[in-house]
Amino acid sequence: MRSVERLTLAHLWAGFAAFAVACVLGVWQMWVRSPLTAPLSTPDHYYQSVTAHGVAMAYLLTTFFVMGFGYYVAETSLSRPLPGKGWAWTAYVLSLAGALTAAIPILLNKATVLYTFYPPLTGSALFYLGLVLVVVGSWIWCALMLIAMGQWRRDHPGEAVPLAMFGTTANAVMWLWTTVGVAAEVLFLILPAALGLTQTIDVGLSRTLFSWTLHAIVYFWLIPAYIAFYTMAPAEAGGRLYSDTMGRLTFVLFLIYSLPVGMHHLFMDPEHATGFKFLQMTLTVLVAVPTLLTVFTISASMEVAGRLRGGTGLFGWIRALPWERPMVLATGLAFFMLWFGGGGGLVNMSFGMNAMVHNTSWVTAHFHLIFGGTVVIMYFAIAYSIWPKLTGWQSPNVSLQRLQLWLWAIGMMVMTLPWHYLGLQGQWRRVATFDYTNPLIAPWGKWVVFSLIGGLILLLSAALFIYNLAIMHRQPARKATTSQSYALALHPPHHVPASLNGFRLWNAVVLVLMLLAYGYPIAQFFINPAPGAVVHRVD
Amino acid sequence: MLSDPLSKYITGGVAALVVAAIILGFVVVPIVQGSTAEIDPWTAICRSLGIQAGSPARRTPVAKTGARPVSDVIWDKATLERLNHPNREVGAQLAQEICAACHGQNGVSPDSKYPHLSGQSALAIYKQLHDFRSGVRQNELMSPVAQALTDEQMIALSNHYASLTQGTLDRRLIVEANPQVDRLIRTGDTARGIPGCQSCHGVGAGGPMETPTISGQRRQYISTQLHNFATGARRNDVFDRMRGVAARLTDDEIELLARFYAEQ
Repeated sequence: MRSVERLTLAHLWAGFAAFAVACVLGVWQMWVRSPLTAPLSTPDHYYQSVTAHGVAMAYLLTTFFVMGFGYYVAETSLSRPLPGKGWAWTAYVLSLAGALTAAIPILLNKATVLYTFYPPLTGSALFYLGLVLVVVGSWIWCALMLIAMGQWRRDHPGEAVPLAMFGTTANAVMWLWTTVGVAAEVLFLILPAALGLTQTIDVGLSRTLFSWTLHAIVYFWLIPAYIAFYTMAPAEAGGRLYSDTMGRLTFVLFLIYSLPVGMHHLFMDPEHATGFKFLQMTLTVLVAVPTLLTVFTISASMEVAGRLRGGTGLFGWIRALPWERPMVLATGLAFFMLWFGGGGGLVNMSFGMNAMVHNTSWVTAHFHLIFGGTVVIMYFAIAYSIWPKLTGWQSPNVSLQRLQLWLWAIGMMVMTLPWHYLGLQGQWRRVATFDYTNPLIAPWGKWVVFSLIGGLILLLSAALFIYNLAIMHRQPARKATTSQSYALALHPPHHVPASLNGFRLWNAVVLVLMLLAYGYPIAQFFINPAPGAVVHRVD
Repeated sequence: MLSDPLSKYITGGVAALVVAAIILGFVVVPIVQGSTAEIDPWTAICRSLGIQAGSPARRTPVAKTGARPVSDVIWDKATLERLNHPNREVGAQLAQEICAACHGQNGVSPDSKYPHLSGQSALAIYKQLHDFRSGVRQNELMSPVAQALTDEQMIALSNHYASLTQGTLDRRLIVEANPQVDRLIRTGDTARGIPGCQSCHGVGAGGPMETPTISGQRRQYISTQLHNFATGARRNDVFDRMRGVAARLTDDEIELLARFYAEQ
């Protein structure tokens, strides 16, 4: 096994271990919220569990997966050794140490502030320090991705950076921008409070800085899925990528539109004026552009594959696709969930409509469907695709992989559709118990139980996923090829404009947009400081 | 940097959209919304920018009656800093001279009517002393005592009792009780709108900062206070938190809870 493979496996297993624990907690949380009697059910335990579930899923699974997959893409797509492997291992150790440091106070119930922090609630300083270490580790990853792409471009002047690496580096650039908000919040506002250095905290400023991060972080999680859509799925379907340029445009647009839009999480907050909320809402709408570009391009790529495989007619190519291959199946299921999740998102991002679903189960349903559904199912597909190349052993039973993907998609739909409905009925999210004897609330009960069944299906799928990966480490499995190939474009990019081969221009655009969208909204806290909220310790 | 047509189209498109959003968000929409709420265009624009307070779509409501707070204690930075800098000698001396008669030597009360103070949080004691002084909490013995104290003396006393460790109050976690009490403490009763006691009084719970420690408190004192909250005789709890809870408890439950916490 080459060193980059060990590096990738270490990262992915760390992420999937966090994922497995978080799945168990998630099901238990739904059990608590249902009319059925759950074991160990107290509000204290519920919020502790929500904190652990959120940190594990949103920070650990994602960061370790993105880093591990990034290293893999850098070495395989550029066909040269990853630079700075020592630094990569250092970043891994830092991130792992950070994850464990954050886990201890969560387990001791000294950091029950949820993964979104909610100042002036303040938990143990160790919790925040641990998460800072994870982020520092990811910054090293960003630097290595930029160096890897820079070195390749220096040695290949005028050539187009391979799309998979272009997407990975776009993610690294975006992540550096993204983490500025939460890093400023944690380092300058929350940590001083957690360490007892300050007694009050500016909640408005904290929430604003967190919102800076809050939307772009979702794209940080999402981009590996998009890399798989563009560079892996068409190849595994036996076709070609319809347009390399569309892929580059999509990654660039994600970089531009992910950042100056976070205020759509603060529509109901009083600290910002309506004009800035309107501006950021308008920019949020533009996120639909790269999403629709991708749906169009990948559908076209799949049509190419289907027709190459003998499919004819208007829809005959769909039947001709090799659905037995996990990557193709996962892409189809991911797109299916994307329609529902994206549709729900259009409601969330609309200034007026958001008021109806704000802080209800609708929101939880939206991000579980987009992230837990579309993104994570592609994480599974990526893992199934690259695991044989990492371990050298093929899966002895691909049908189990297909079963796992189907279970995940079905479980996610069964779980989140009732949540959407309950959200419209006004069911609050992040609430431990409901009075099901209340005639207004009683009808919710059956839908919560229904969604719990979806959660159980997801748990079964998660267990099967871990099993499916584990058996590819065993010797009796068949030997696999260890070379990774990415999809070729119908028109290979012999020459691409400089703007689609690097990020200098787009960094300038992001800077201008961020100044417009967040300049005054952040400056106002310094021009006219609000009375600080007293720090409320929960450790 | 704008060397190719594609990048020109993208940046041009984004710029056009941003300009349109700025015109709509900061000018057109506020003026239209403001006109229906009888807000002049300039004020509406200023409000949409956040340089004037209020919404461009609604007139700012004017309260006709003054607010009547249930407590005058404000947990601001200045109060907390003063609480962190007590005069310990004054605290010990005053405790001996004034408080010990009822609250016992070292804050361990000899009479079930009077609460233990030893080990109680400084915030909790300060809040109650302040409330006795301002009159929002009344007691024939405590009100005149507190009215004779200065703010500095209250801070000194609060910290004195908070610093004592030999008392009966501590922050142990609740381990077990009879099922009825256990449920009330851990989860409360959702059907009656009663949160679990532990949601605020537990270790590291998310309750208000002035929440007192009640483990090991005198039984009769807890019972009396719960009844006072239930009847409204005591009303210095912000947002009716304790009045709301106590009014929904039965007399039996109050006695069970008082006994349980007293035995902890």
